[in-house]
Amino acid sequence: MIYLYIALGVLVIWVISTYNFFASSKARIKASIQEIGNQLKRQADLIPNLENSVKGYLKHESGILEMLADARKLAARGQDASAKISEVLPKLTIAVEDNPELKGNTVVTNLMDELRDTSDKVMYARRLLIDLTADFNVKRVSFPFSIVAGIFGFAEMKGFETPESGEFTKVSESETKSPKVSL
Amino acid sequence: MKNIYEVQQNNKIRSFVVVAFFLAFSFLAVYILASASGVYFGYEPGGLGFVGIALIISGVSTFVSYYFSDKIVLGISGARPANSKEDKLFTSVADNLCIGAGLPKPKLYVIEDSAPNAFATGRDPKHAVVCATTGLLSKLNRTELEGVIAHELTHVKNYDIRLMSLVSVMVGLVALLADWFLRMGMRTRGNSDESKGANTIIVLLGVIFAILSPIIAQLIQLAISRRREFMADAGGIGITRQPQGLITALTKISADHEPLEAANKATAHLYIVSPFKGDHRFVSKMANLFNTHPPMPERIAALQKML
Repeated sequence: MIYLYIALGVLVIWVISTYNFFASSKARIKASIQEIGNQLKRQADLIPNLENSVKGYLKHESGILEMLADARKLAARGQDASAKISEVLPKLTIAVEDNPELKGNTVVTNLMDELRDTSDKVMYARRLLIDLTADFNVKRVSFPFSIVAGIFGFAEMKGFETPESGEFTKVSESETKSPKVSL
Repeated sequence: MKNIYEVQQNNKIRSFVVVAFFLAFSFLAVYILASASGVYFGYEPGGLGFVGIALIISGVSTFVSYYFSDKIVLGISGARPANSKEDKLFTSVADNLCIGAGLPKPKLYVIEDSAPNAFATGRDPKHAVVCATTGLLSKLNRTELEGVIAHELTHVKNYDIRLMSLVSVMVGLVALLADWFLRMGMRTRGNSDESKGANTIIVLLGVIFAILSPIIAQLIQLAISRRREFMADAGGIGITRQPQGLITALTKISADHEPLEAANKATAHLYIVSPFKGDHRFVSKMANLFNTHPPMPERIAALQKML
């Protein structure tokens, strides 16, 4: 008799913990969807601002380069370039004082790093949703957990919604070759 | 080609088997040593008293190192907290992977050392610490660093620090009991004439266990450590989905023969690769038994199956 009670107790504990797994997974999946939204919002706020500040910087730098090129052209034609040079010189001094070299490349590299970081964050936020949903759905259909899921009516979670068929499930002949980058 | 879920499942089962075997062995060793010393010294409940004292000593010392693991290890290694300006790559990679793994952000630390290595510690995910050397941060690119940090975060996620602490309590317990049994046996040698028959067998077993079990317990501890490394490799790939990143990172790290000064025997099992580079010269199966980490070719081969 005592063994029956023990077995019953173990069973009850198991049912409770399985129920809790499904219930808490559902809450976590919801939170992970919010996290995707959070990251998308960060991206939407950040990228236009980054774009503008980098654009501003590059404009400033290309202005200096343009003026230098103009002055060089004049000098090459034997004309007096001093007017052009005196126009560009003050700007150049500022540029040299502030930045020992023109820094367009590092500014762009930083932008690229920031872009990758941002899209990584969104990607990882989606990864969490995909993983949590997969854990939930796999357990939901695995025996004996499926019994508990059935009793309490836990439905399959959708997770990251992707069309199940379409062009992206096929690869065309031309796509099998590694793409070449040409700049 | 094995899919990541199969690998993780397989790892879990094998790890469970090793841990279960370890527990069974250490309980057997403790039982035999306890009853042997009980018989040997003439009063049977005495053995249990020894176990209690040994458990307290081994438990308290390990609990202290477990509870303060983050502070102790960081103190030994001389690490400084990472900041998002100087170590931008490190902090942003760790932040992103935490989003992916669904873990709270660990405290990040940097050790000023050109030997590339990294480790994780802390008693649970909320008190986790991930530490990287400046060598690692400068020698790896973003994808490779993601592989390494994901490996460390998997240690955190799997509660490996807790498991290894539990295991060292048991190893300490077995070692203490064996040590006491042998020491006291030496001192009171004359008394053993009284033991007869079944008692002689248990004392004999006690002597054998006293000599062998500390070594065996330690060997199983190392086997668990190696198993958890495989698990962390596979789990890390579960987060990044880029085995190639971890493969090139491991290749780069193991090609670097500089020893890590901040590491010692107590902290070795925490690192992504064994900080003692001398190990690479011994490639025999026997030598592997004494390593905290599986040999690099085996780890890379396991990862390549996931490509």
